[in-house]
Amino acid sequence: MMTNQMLKIERILAVSAAAAVFAAGTSWARAPFTDEELAEQKAALVESIALGYDLWHGSRADMTTNGLACGNCHPDTAASNPQTFPKYMTMYGKVIPFREMVNWCIENPQAGARLDVNGDDMTAMEAYAFYLHRGKEITPGLASEQTTPIVVEYGAGYARTPTGVGVDTKP
Amino acid sequence: MSDIVDHSRRQFLSFAGKAGLTTLVAQAVGINLGVVDIVRAQTGKRGVEPFRFAIISDAHLYSMPDHKFDQQLADAVAQVNAMTPLPDFVLFGGDVAQNGTEDQLVKGNKILAGLKMPLKLIPGEHDWYLDMGDAWRGLFGDETWSFNHKGVHFIGLNSILVRDFWTEAGMTPLERMTVMEMLESPIPGPWGVHEKQLEWLANDVKDLAPDTPVVIFTHSPLWDYYPRWNFQTSDAPEIREILSKFDNVMSYHGHVHQTLYNRIGNMSSVAALGTAWPWPYPPVELAFPETRMNRADPSIATDGMGTQVIDLSGSFEGLVQYKPFEDSLTPFMRDGFKV
Repeated sequence: MMTNQMLKIERILAVSAAAAVFAAGTSWARAPFTDEELAEQKAALVESIALGYDLWHGSRADMTTNGLACGNCHPDTAASNPQTFPKYMTMYGKVIPFREMVNWCIENPQAGARLDVNGDDMTAMEAYAFYLHRGKEITPGLASEQTTPIVVEYGAGYARTPTGVGVDTKP
Repeated sequence: MSDIVDHSRRQFLSFAGKAGLTTLVAQAVGINLGVVDIVRAQTGKRGVEPFRFAIISDAHLYSMPDHKFDQQLADAVAQVNAMTPLPDFVLFGGDVAQNGTEDQLVKGNKILAGLKMPLKLIPGEHDWYLDMGDAWRGLFGDETWSFNHKGVHFIGLNSILVRDFWTEAGMTPLERMTVMEMLESPIPGPWGVHEKQLEWLANDVKDLAPDTPVVIFTHSPLWDYYPRWNFQTSDAPEIREILSKFDNVMSYHGHVHQTLYNRIGNMSSVAALGTAWPWPYPPVELAFPETRMNRADPSIATDGMGTQVIDLSGSFEGLVQYKPFEDSLTPFMRDGFKV
């Protein structure tokens, strides 16, 4: 059984350790990611964004039965407003996340089959849409206004390997 | 210079011979869904006999039978046919087809054949890049044209010409078309009317007096709106320069699938609603933001789509009225606006 004295010592040690961490300023639960690790993580994200870009523009056949893709109405993911979710959507009568809105568009305007909300494809769709809204203010619940994505200067909007054709030549 | 022709090119209706006639024609012009009627009965100082024309644009028909866009184009035709009074003619703003196939263009021609009045078209990129306009020309004629109607000089240009990105890359026609179908495609770059049409335009207007009322019709806007989505025409500055001698030029265009107005110098610019889907407004400031429509509600299948009608007065003033299928307009836009 722990005595009062032992508890007191333990508290002193805990406070001392916390103070040491605070004083050092660079102490972490683990070492910071190396440049190589960060590059790998960024590459994984870009791979997901690239998959989302392709899906957004019609690469998966079962997402449509009438030929429409997300990009028909949402070029550069414009007016998809990912940063405004979760929010109330009238077609559901409740607050929904962005991925459910993606599935609504797939099932209704595109008359296709909904994606697994926990699957890699849905994550990729989110990755593309959110990446093109990076830096935008997060405003959950904003339901009535169209917002715009970032201005895409060239290429696909992310660090895609250039095709070597046309104006898509910058990294 | 061509006379306006009907959709089938079988019946030629020469309006040119009527241009400038001082004919007292009382036209009951319906404004605001027929709530207000005004009577216009005189020819203007520039010799314009008041009339109206309608614009249908951007049908983007797919090949599937009974596709919802087929009905939306048919609804646009019915809407224009029900206008009181009837427009003298209809301009189609490009993109009959989605993938440029002949069956899509033929389907569009068949639906548009339901119009009670003559039709004149210019092409969009979706009509063009599968066969470089062969099927479109076979159905609808030349893509560069002008005609006179009741004192107004109408011009149509093909504004979706891009430099050749496909030959060196070894692309098939289908691959070329697929590249062009994507609004934000990073490959084709900005499009325009190119040198040959600029020369044609300069020659077409060289003998016209500065007070001639001019309407120019293109698929894309004649100003730099948002070049990434080709909401632009690369040689629009040259077009505006050629037309700068005129007192007043009206530009009407498709492609942007939204309500929009702009003005540069002597040229006003008005966008057309599409019948297929609305585009979002891009991330740029607008000079006239009050001409935007409401954000389209995706749960209302045809929100943000429709047609438009323009009444031209004797003094070559235009009353632009958007006719959306749904309640898509802000209060500012519901009564129309003058250009």
